[in-house]
Amino acid sequence: MNSEEHSALSGQPVDQATHFEIERFLVREARALDEERYHDWLDNMVAKDVIYQLPTQEVRYRRDRKTIGNAQTTYLYNDNYDVLAMRVARFDTGFLWAEDPPMRIRRYITNIDAQWADEEGEVDVWSNFIVYRSRAQRDNVSTHGRRRDRLRKTDGQWQLASRVITLEQRVIMDKNVHCFF
Amino acid sequence: MKPLDQLVQQEGAIQDRSIYWDNDVYQAEMEHIFARCWLFLTHDSIIPEKGDYQVTTMGEDNVIVARQADGSLKAFLNSCTHRGNFVCFSEAGNTRSFVCPYHGWSFGIDGSLQDVPLEKQAYHQEIDKTALGLRQIRVASYKGLIFGTFDESAPPLEKYLGGMAWYLDSFLDVPGGIELIGPPMKSTLECNWKNPSENFIGDGYHVGWAHASALEIAGGSLASMKGLNEYDKNSGLQISLPEGHGFGAIWECVAALHPGPPGVAYQQWVDQRSPAVKEIVGEQREKFYRAHWNATIFPNCSFLYGTNTFKVWQPRGPHSIEVTTWTMVEKEMPKELKDMIHADNMLTFGTAGILESDDGENFENCTNSNRGHSTRQGTVYLGMGQGHERQEAGLPGIVSDGWVNETSTRGMYRRWAEMMSGKSWDNLSTTADLENNQ
Repeated sequence: MNSEEHSALSGQPVDQATHFEIERFLVREARALDEERYHDWLDNMVAKDVIYQLPTQEVRYRRDRKTIGNAQTTYLYNDNYDVLAMRVARFDTGFLWAEDPPMRIRRYITNIDAQWADEEGEVDVWSNFIVYRSRAQRDNVSTHGRRRDRLRKTDGQWQLASRVITLEQRVIMDKNVHCFF
Repeated sequence: MKPLDQLVQQEGAIQDRSIYWDNDVYQAEMEHIFARCWLFLTHDSIIPEKGDYQVTTMGEDNVIVARQADGSLKAFLNSCTHRGNFVCFSEAGNTRSFVCPYHGWSFGIDGSLQDVPLEKQAYHQEIDKTALGLRQIRVASYKGLIFGTFDESAPPLEKYLGGMAWYLDSFLDVPGGIELIGPPMKSTLECNWKNPSENFIGDGYHVGWAHASALEIAGGSLASMKGLNEYDKNSGLQISLPEGHGFGAIWECVAALHPGPPGVAYQQWVDQRSPAVKEIVGEQREKFYRAHWNATIFPNCSFLYGTNTFKVWQPRGPHSIEVTTWTMVEKEMPKELKDMIHADNMLTFGTAGILESDDGENFENCTNSNRGHSTRQGTVYLGMGQGHERQEAGLPGIVSDGWVNETSTRGMYRRWAEMMSGKSWDNLSTTADLENNQ
């Protein structure tokens, strides 16, 4: 495909075969994380230049969106590859008391919509998710949200190049969101 | 509710477990503590312009803080005087009025009632709008930190802060002062509000153990604490003020919880600023400026100076709180440094923070074990360092060596018991009385 042909595709829905690959990638990624295979995820599914973000959303009136004072975007996650690797390394320390006994996490990925991005070999993917976390005996929380991903095909494999996560809750109704979405 | 001398015993070293669980204790706290104390609302930097406002809570009361045309501040209940509905549903913004969505009553940014639909036709022009403004709340600022109180008889804010103000000046008096960066993170913990307040005021003990995994990966000068094997009691101290506030300080550790380049940049900034800060606050407080602090302003406003996290623990019933987290920086820091610090605060003490997630578990479980009737008949123990406190000329309050200590935590519970007794402000302990009795 030359660049002219590519730019004509930008913003168009991906073809059926590509959509299938994308969907498989997201499901495999969710299973790797569910199964705590964090190194597998980092090594094989995440691009080295990844940007992984979870900005907070202020609750404001529709007519009054202007930023006031010194406010700026507050991110719960604003990680590059090294920071993600640091979070993963924390699981390996053996001192993470909150994860022992292990937490049980299930990720449900749905509403997948993929379109060709402006860069060749890249796609923009929107998906909704439910992440169910169960800790100890009766500590159960479901978190709902949306992701906008940029996926990139490198050497025949899709990788996560960027992810922007939106949680619908303003007040997070859980003690933390220290899990990957 | 049991008698107060059973709820807190031995000068704050013993707490009856019911104070973390029982609803009657909680309701008494709302009356005697949250309806009386100066409670943190917001910072000047968040609502600088006329009409800027922020919605927050004092205890469980929903309030609006708004910047007035003359630059002053007003705070009032977010509850319409007609039928009680909220008049503002946005968490912040800029406005000329607050209009109740129920019947359209409209209030000015000073909380006064401006317009009532059908005033002439339905109220016969007889309604006294001046008597129907939103309930005003006393509001005051200490060097940019804005507090409110429901109690008209409360002492002025500076007196309420007591000896704590002198210590706070170590970083509030830097050229340009400080600011808080938001919008804040908001999350919930199913714990009693006192569990996090006591943790921030004086629990240096947990750092090496609870946060071992984070210390292991983040490194830095506190990493040697991991597993609680090493500790030098001369590396810091704890201060407890009779007003209930307190903190622990770790010398020369201001940037200790900023691993990597942000820590280097922050340390350079502090080194560069130290001579000017020393000029302003003196040699003793320059040492505090260069220290890391874990602190609580009684009852529920906590911060880590150095790690730059600033939090309010909003009570939501005996076993639930809402956590609000801002980033605290010096106003004159370059934007690049502020951004790095803001990002680091989210990485460490944000809702997805690598230290925050350790604490949340502990706070919740310390509360929830008391669900058991028989468990709740017992007490918990804060005796570390008791009997080794002293008063020291030039340092307000009670001083104790070592930031791994429970001096400031005991002080918080002594104040808690004092306030719960319903004593008038004139009969409550102050730093000034402590010094006069020395």
